[in-house]
Amino acid sequence: MDNFAIVPWDVNELTHEFFIPDYINTLAVEVLKHYSFQVRSMQVVTTKPDKGGAIWKLETDSGPKSLKLLHRRPTRSMFSLRAQKYLVEVQRARVPAIVKTKSGEEYIEAGGKLWFVAEWIEPLAPVTKDLAGAKQLCYALGEFHELSKGYIPPRQAEVASRLTKWPKSYGKMVRKMDWFRNIAIAYKEMPASQSILSVVDRFQDQARKSLVDLNQSSYLSLVEKGNTSWGLVHQDYGWSNGQMGPNGMWIIDLDGVAYDLPIRDLRKLISGTMADLYHWDVTWVREMIRAYHEASPLTPELYELLMIDFSLPNEFYKNIKEVVYEPELFLNEVTTQLIQTIVDTDQSKWPTLNEIQNDWRK
Amino acid sequence: MKILMVCTEKLPVPPVLGGAIQTYISGTLPHLSKFHDITVLGISDPSLPDKEVKEGIKYVRVTGKVLELYREEVVRFVEANQFDLIHIFNRPRLVMPIRSVAPQSKITLSMHNDMFNIEKINPVEANAALEEVSNIVTVSDYVGNVIRTLYPETSSKIRTIYSGVDTERFLPGDHPKMRHIRNANRKQHGLENKTVILFAGRLSVNKGVDRLIRALPQLSAKFKDLALVVVGSKWFSQNDVTDYVAYTRALAKRQPIPVVATGFVSPAEIQNWFATADLFVCTSLWQEPLARVHYEAMAAGLPIVTTARGGNAEVIRQRENGLVVDNPEDPSCFAEKITEILSDKSLMKRMGVKGREFAVTKYEWKRVADEILEVWKQAIEIPHTNIPEKEKNEIETKVEMDKRGPRLENQGSKEVVATNKQRDKEKQLKKVETYKKVETYKKVEIYKKVETHKKEEDHKKET
Repeated sequence: MDNFAIVPWDVNELTHEFFIPDYINTLAVEVLKHYSFQVRSMQVVTTKPDKGGAIWKLETDSGPKSLKLLHRRPTRSMFSLRAQKYLVEVQRARVPAIVKTKSGEEYIEAGGKLWFVAEWIEPLAPVTKDLAGAKQLCYALGEFHELSKGYIPPRQAEVASRLTKWPKSYGKMVRKMDWFRNIAIAYKEMPASQSILSVVDRFQDQARKSLVDLNQSSYLSLVEKGNTSWGLVHQDYGWSNGQMGPNGMWIIDLDGVAYDLPIRDLRKLISGTMADLYHWDVTWVREMIRAYHEASPLTPELYELLMIDFSLPNEFYKNIKEVVYEPELFLNEVTTQLIQTIVDTDQSKWPTLNEIQNDWRK
Repeated sequence: MKILMVCTEKLPVPPVLGGAIQTYISGTLPHLSKFHDITVLGISDPSLPDKEVKEGIKYVRVTGKVLELYREEVVRFVEANQFDLIHIFNRPRLVMPIRSVAPQSKITLSMHNDMFNIEKINPVEANAALEEVSNIVTVSDYVGNVIRTLYPETSSKIRTIYSGVDTERFLPGDHPKMRHIRNANRKQHGLENKTVILFAGRLSVNKGVDRLIRALPQLSAKFKDLALVVVGSKWFSQNDVTDYVAYTRALAKRQPIPVVATGFVSPAEIQNWFATADLFVCTSLWQEPLARVHYEAMAAGLPIVTTARGGNAEVIRQRENGLVVDNPEDPSCFAEKITEILSDKSLMKRMGVKGREFAVTKYEWKRVADEILEVWKQAIEIPHTNIPEKEKNEIETKVEMDKRGPRLENQGSKEVVATNKQRDKEKQLKKVETYKKVETYKKVEIYKKVETHKKEEDHKKET
């Protein structure tokens, strides 16, 4: 297809919420010509203007579907698309099936990016925002991890793996704490700068200790088992990408899947949930881990790694890393309050971790 | 001689998109091509024809970007053509595939970085490739020593040939050809009457320009009218904002002195920034092979502050053409060395003059090319199997004699005879082993095995 390369686009107060540049809309129509269904309507449901990605909901003569423009490199997208196919066709996982083109392809390349159509699962409903819901999410995640084992990407795809990169990403967190400090010093008159300076040393020390613990753990021997035997992490799993639907929990938005130690997803889900609760709750953490363990058994080694991953200053890092972009806007009162909340929540994290530390004793 | 130079799969030659290896090749070609019939095999680019003959040099450009694809093209080309010598740039993984289709050609290899590291090339293939090449040329002692540490047996094949610079293009700012450009550039960027510190390089954690920016408060307290120019985009021709770039920009904004970021500057115009500056600083934190910017700064008559990482300090004579920062992690160490230069105008001047002198006497492209010619000459003189003809005959005779039965020359006691025989036999076996080891087909076999294994793996993947 002869066309322009898709690039990220600007949004401002004049563009509406789901603005998409015309040339991309035109491409979308072209892409849909490759499919045998008739489109009755299409509606934008999500955009990623800063990356150049979008999702449309389609009403067609063969039911509702989603059309996705994947912002990643085509060879990277091939990795996740084949994974989705593997999960549906080989493992019968509750993951939306990919709709093939007239010529039997799983995707169309247009504007230098991959596009694909998948079934729109209806009805889908979020789980209840309580411990029971959290446990459903964890169980479904464990199932997903188990089913993703054995996946092998096509030859032309990039192998997306974070398996060996844990020490590097821990190290990066330690280093970026220097950046936060240096920026807070350079912008010291801004409201949030003092807050950052008063906590950054402590969080950096925590990250350093996590890295030391990681290096002393059984991480390397776990890594040796290799990509395919560990399977895939979702990387963006949470209360919206795991939902209740026909026959049970469905997992959607698989575009970022990569090989990794599966507990990375579990750690993110639990620490994110604790942030939503504004405190760490021993019962929740224990029950969530147990629910996951029922679907995908945790070994003492994996549990140890889960504890180490919890020990990172994940929430502080996740929320403050944006500071490098526009410090004069970011370092405001809202950020001061955010930091205070993170610090407060962090206080209950350590007693919680201490209490559950030995639950999976070797 | 008919010579093939095989470039990498990443960037085209001539260096329309920049690149140290591409610059090295293009810099030496005019001189090399006076003595040999040269073909340059590299990757295609929209701005360049797929085939051309230019100034007597043949260029063939094929699909690249991914090594596996490029390798197939290279093999196809080498198979269809004959060369006396094939010089491969920075891709040890091309040695065995090329050998498999060019059993008679001599192979030499240039190493520009860490491509021999374990995670970049399987040690079985690395060993085979190292035995196969006649010589290995490295861009710094540092690069050579890393290979020596990994593969000690290869030590005697390694030789450093420092890169070069076009001293007609990179000129001091007070040179008649440059004076106007320097003044115009300074005027345009508000740098008139400033002492301009220059950084040129990728904006990445490894290259460490943030350390220099963080040294500025200390420096500006001591020196009036300082300015910093940062030349560089994220990665060659692409300009995109990473967290690191955002971080350095955020720091730069708050400095008491002007920080001028140029964004991407075309490789063809970079000399203008060197001519605009007064002092060059390289801030690399990583074990860098040896950054080209050092030669360019010398040619432009700039005093240099660089870091004791990798090969960078190899071209600095302390207090003659520059100073070396031992702990580049610490911004104040940069402040200290820069202060040492800026506070002594006559030292600063002398260093610049000395740098220019080094560039003209030691780092001209002609010198680089002459050294490559020497290496090629040596390679051609080495017998094909790497074992001198005389020794080879000796081994063959001994093998023959061994077949005929026990020798009679040992007339001593039985024990001695037995021991001597044993020792002889061991020696012989060892030599025969060595002989066999260097036989081309053997190594091609190893390569083929590795390849078959890979194919099997791929096949497993597919099914």
